[in-house]
Amino acid sequence: MSEKQGLTVIVKTVSRAILAVIFLYGFYIILHGHLSPGGGFGGGVVLALGFLSVLLAYGRPTAQKWLNIRVLHSVESSGPLLFLALGLLGLAAGGVFLLNTLGKGRLFDLWSSGFILPLNIIIGVKVGLSLFLAVWALTEWDPEKGDDA
Amino acid sequence: MIIYLLCFALFLIGLYGLITKRDLIKIILASGIMGYAVNLMIVLFGYRRGAVYPILEKGKEAAIMVDPLPQALVLTSIVIELGTTAMLVALAIRLFNKYKTFDITKIRRLRG
Repeated sequence: MSEKQGLTVIVKTVSRAILAVIFLYGFYIILHGHLSPGGGFGGGVVLALGFLSVLLAYGRPTAQKWLNIRVLHSVESSGPLLFLALGLLGLAAGGVFLLNTLGKGRLFDLWSSGFILPLNIIIGVKVGLSLFLAVWALTEWDPEKGDDA
Repeated sequence: MIIYLLCFALFLIGLYGLITKRDLIKIILASGIMGYAVNLMIVLFGYRRGAVYPILEKGKEAAIMVDPLPQALVLTSIVIELGTTAMLVALAIRLFNKYKTFDITKIRRLRG
């Protein structure tokens, strides 16, 4: 039973091939959140779908081997703290929470938004990991073992 | 006006499912449909015919834009709805754990 975890070999192969593209697209949406539709939340959802495709295609034990859940938990929990630290940085520099201390750059460049880009990255990682970990917590219960698992 | 009425019809479809269905999963899906209807209506409040999306891009003329405020609010609403759905699913899992069924007519007695 342990080797038959997850879905068929077709789904496994396709999800393995497409996984990098999913993550690339998620990071693209996060990084260009201030230039085009998208941003931290939308890109984070795409990242979570990448993680979920691993979980669905390969089953929970294999995914547990591949992903270091404890590290993911720590990264997810440190997201708000990083956000707060960036906000306090502005407070220290100019007396206003979330004040932009980075340069504004040229219009329509990737570095044209100051603080919004790092904040979008933090939000994207946080959203992606929390969505994935919520579903991960829901899959913890095994219907065959019942309450004891 | 007709689009708002259609949103309300979608909301009523969700309410119908919420009231009449016996399966817990279908009830959760129906509550999701109700949420989608409300979100769609709020986004449509900011819609203007012939307007562009509210983002400036290179080489794009400034023109009449749709209202971005409802979109930002709906983003928050979607997140809250996601949390609600996750909690409902967790409760459904716990109920299935106890009763081995999703049929709400069979989930009647409190068992320890």
